Amino acid sequence: MSVLVESSDVLPLVDVEIAFASGSLQDPAGREGLALLTGHLMRRGPRGLSQQRFEDRLASLGARVSVQVSMRSTRIRATVLRRNLEPLLGLLADLVWRPALRARDFAKLKRQARAALIARLDDDESLAARCFREALFGEHPYARAQSGAADSLARIGLPEVESFYARHIARGAFLVGVAGDVTDTEAHRLVSTYFPTAKRHKRKDSIVPTTKTRSGRHVVIVDKPERAQTQLFIGTLGARTRDRNLFPLLVSNTVFGGTFSGLLMQEVRAARGWSYSAYSRLLHAKQREAWYMATAPASEYSADCAALQLSLLERWAERGIKKPQLSFAQRYLINSHCFDRDTPSKRMESRLDVELLGIPRSYVEKYDELVGRVRLRDANDATHARISTRDLSIVVVATATEVAGAFERLPGVKSLEVVPFDRG
Amino acid sequence: MATPEVLVERLNRGVRKRNARWTFVRDVGFGDALRLRRYRLGNGLTVLTLVDRAAPTVSYHSWFRVGSRHERPGKTGLAHLFEHLMFNATRNHAPGDFDRLMEGAGAEANAATWTDWTYYYENAPRDALPLLIELESDRMANLVLRAPQVSSEKEVVANERKLRVDDDVEGKALELLYEKAFVRHPYRWPTIGSMDDIRGFTVQDCREFYRTHYAPSNATVVIAGDFVESKTLSLMQEHYGRLPRGRRVEQRRPFEEPPQRAERVVRLPAPTPTEKLLLGYRAPSFLDADTPPLVVANEVLFGGQSSRLHRLFCLDSELALSVRGSISPFVDPGLYEMWIFLRKGKKRDDALALLDREIGRLGSEGPTPIELEKAIHQLELSFLHGMETAGGKAEQIGFYETVANDGAAVFERLHAYGRVSARDVKRAVSKHLRPSRRTRIEILRRAS
Repeated sequence: MSVLVESSDVLPLVDVEIAFASGSLQDPAGREGLALLTGHLMRRGPRGLSQQRFEDRLASLGARVSVQVSMRSTRIRATVLRRNLEPLLGLLADLVWRPALRARDFAKLKRQARAALIARLDDDESLAARCFREALFGEHPYARAQSGAADSLARIGLPEVESFYARHIARGAFLVGVAGDVTDTEAHRLVSTYFPTAKRHKRKDSIVPTTKTRSGRHVVIVDKPERAQTQLFIGTLGARTRDRNLFPLLVSNTVFGGTFSGLLMQEVRAARGWSYSAYSRLLHAKQREAWYMATAPASEYSADCAALQLSLLERWAERGIKKPQLSFAQRYLINSHCFDRDTPSKRMESRLDVELLGIPRSYVEKYDELVGRVRLRDANDATHARISTRDLSIVVVATATEVAGAFERLPGVKSLEVVPFDRG
Repeated sequence: MATPEVLVERLNRGVRKRNARWTFVRDVGFGDALRLRRYRLGNGLTVLTLVDRAAPTVSYHSWFRVGSRHERPGKTGLAHLFEHLMFNATRNHAPGDFDRLMEGAGAEANAATWTDWTYYYENAPRDALPLLIELESDRMANLVLRAPQVSSEKEVVANERKLRVDDDVEGKALELLYEKAFVRHPYRWPTIGSMDDIRGFTVQDCREFYRTHYAPSNATVVIAGDFVESKTLSLMQEHYGRLPRGRRVEQRRPFEEPPQRAERVVRLPAPTPTEKLLLGYRAPSFLDADTPPLVVANEVLFGGQSSRLHRLFCLDSELALSVRGSISPFVDPGLYEMWIFLRKGKKRDDALALLDREIGRLGSEGPTPIELEKAIHQLELSFLHGMETAGGKAEQIGFYETVANDGAAVFERLHAYGRVSARDVKRAVSKHLRPSRRTRIEILRRAS
C-alpha cells in the first residue's frame, strides 16, 4: 500500500506528506548536505512559477509546506485548510515532479546554508548534540550532519543536486500520507489524480556499515568562551531497530532517564539541583544507534555532575533495575502511548515510518503488548549487553580552561581533546 | 444527558457547605461541534469544561492569576520559583509522589509562568482524570514548603537562568529589551528573576506567596477532552469543595508607564558568531482594538516565506538569515518584538534602513488585498493547528479566560482577524510602529 489515509472530521484541516526513502545517508562522502540542499531547492518551487509566486500561492491557500531530511528519508510535509486541499495537491505534485531547480536559487540557497552553519553555533545544546554524534560515530555515516559542513557544501554543484533529485526523488520509492478532514475514498481519488505513480516503486534498503565504538572513555571539550553553564552529553552505542533487546532496553532506559521520576532526574536535579534538565535517550536505526544521557550543569560542578552520572550509569548497567521500577516504566509507556496517536497526523506518521523505514509493523500495532511482555531479566540482560560503561564518548560544551582539569580526572578517561566551538 | 442546570441541582442536593455548592454560569458554542460550559464552586473556583471525544485523552489545566507582574523589586522571579515548588511534597503526599503518580498514569505534567499568569497542566489518558483532580486540588491548599526543597529548587532555577539567559544571547537580549523599554511597569523585570533575587528567597517568602495567590478564588480549572461531565464535577465538588476560598487578592492600581518619546538604543557585545538586531515597539494590550490589525500586520511582515520581510531580508538582499516578529500577549500594553538575524559581515545600519522603509511603506500604503487574504488564511491555519489536541484547546481556553476574562473569546479573536481591513492595518502600523516608540538592542560580536 502506498497511500495511507487517516480520516478525522474534527477540524477542517488536512495534512499531506510525500515521503521518499532517501536521505542524508545517500550523501556521497565529501558531499555531506547534498540531500538537504536538494530538498530545500525543490521547496523553492516548480517550473513556471517564481519562488515568490509559489510562496504567494501557498499562503493564499492557507497552506504551509516544509521539507525535512533525515538520515533515511526526505519528507515533503504540508498542511492546508480543508477547502483548499485539491489545489494544494496540484502544487505539491508540480513541486515533486517538475521542480524548477534554478541556478540562481541554488546559489542563494548555498549562501543561506553556509550562513545557517555559522548562526547555529549560538545554540550550545545542538552544538553539543552534533559534536557528540561525531565523537561517538567517527567516520561512520551516522556521524554526518544533514546540513553538511562549510567545505562539503562548497563542493556541491547544481549538477549534483539534479542528479540526486533524478535518482532518489524522480525515480525513488515514495509514499503519500493524507490525514485529517478527508474521507478514505476522496483521499485515494485525489492522490491517484495528482500522484499517479504512487504505487510503482519499491523501497530499496540501503546498505549501512556496522557502527563501532572507540575503546575506553574519551572526553571532547568543545571550547566556547564565557560559559556559565555547560552542555554535557555522555553516551555509547544503543540498539538496532530489529534488535531483540530493543523493547527491554526501552523499558530499562525509561527507568534510568526517561521520565521526571527516573533515576537520573532524581539524583541530578531533585536531590542536588545541578541541572534544569537531565534525561537519557535510546535511539535505534538499521545499525546500532546512540544511547546517551544529557544534562546542563553549571561550570563549577560540571565535572562532578559527569562523575555522578558515570556512577549512576555503572550502577544501572551492572546492578540493573528492580521489579517495581520495571512495572512503573511499563505502566508509564503503555498509558502515555495514547499521545503518540491522538491526532490524525501522528497516526499517519507512525504508519509512514513502518512503510518507509522498515520499522516492524508490530512496533506500532502491538506496542503495548511488546512493552508489557518485557520481564525483569530481559530488561537487565539487555542493559548489560548493550550499554557499555567502559566505551563512552563524553562531550561537553564549556569554557575549556574552567573544566578541562576536572574532566581529565574523571575515572577511566583515556583521552581528552579540546576543540574550538567554531572549528568549521 | 442532563442539562447543566439540572446537573448542578442534582450535585448540590444535600450539600450544606457553601464552598462545595456549584453554580452553573453559562454554556456557549465552541466552534461548530463543541460546547464550553462555565461553572463556579462556592469557594470561587471557576471551572470550564469542554467535552471532546476526538481522542481518549483529557487535558487538565489550572490557571492562576499570578505572574511576575505581581512581584516587587528585590523579589523578582518568585512566581516562577513557586511554579517549581508546586511539584514538591504536600501534607498528603511525600516528595516525588506527584511526578511518580502522574507518570505511572501516563500523564505528562508541566507548568509555565509569565508576566500575567501561571498555569499547571496535565495531558493524560482519560481514565487518569480522578487522579488529576485529587492531586491538583491537594497541591492548591496543602503544599509543604520547607528549607531543603526551597534551597534545592533555587539551585535548579539558578541553573535554568544560566541556561536561558546568561549563556543564551537571545535570552540575554530579551531581558535587556524589557528592562530598557519599561521604566515603571513590572514588565521591566524578567519572569525568571535576577540571580541575586533567586539566591535570596526565603521559605517565608514562598509561604506568603502561596497563601496570597494560590486559592480557589484566584484560579480557573479548564478540562478538555473525553470525560463525563457529571462524574467529573461530582469529584471536583468532593476535592475542591473542601478548600477555603482564600485571601482576597488586593487589586493593585494600574501601572502607569510613561509614554516613550524617543528611540532607546543599547549595544550588547556577546560571544556570538553573527550580529543581531532586536527591536521592541510599544504595543497595545492583548485586548486593545489595535491588536488584531497589528497581528495581521505581523503576518504580512513576518509570516512565513511569502512575507515581505522574509523576502526582502533573506532572499533579495541576503542581509539576514532569518527574521521574526511577535506581539506580547499581555494584559497591559507590552512590546511588538522584531528580530533580525544578520548574516556575517552584513551591516546593522543597512538592515535598519530596510526595516524602516518597509514599515513606513506598510503604514502609508497598507497591505495589498492578496497580502491581507494570505495573512488571514495563515492565521486561521495557525489557530486550527493550536486546536488539534485536547491540550491545545485547554491552553487556549485558559489563556483567554485569564487574560480576556472569557475562555470562549478564542473564536471571537479569530473572527476579529477576519474583519481586519487594509485601512485598519495602515492605521495601526502608522500609530504604533514609529522609531520613537521603540527600543533597539544591537547585539555585537565580541571576539573570543
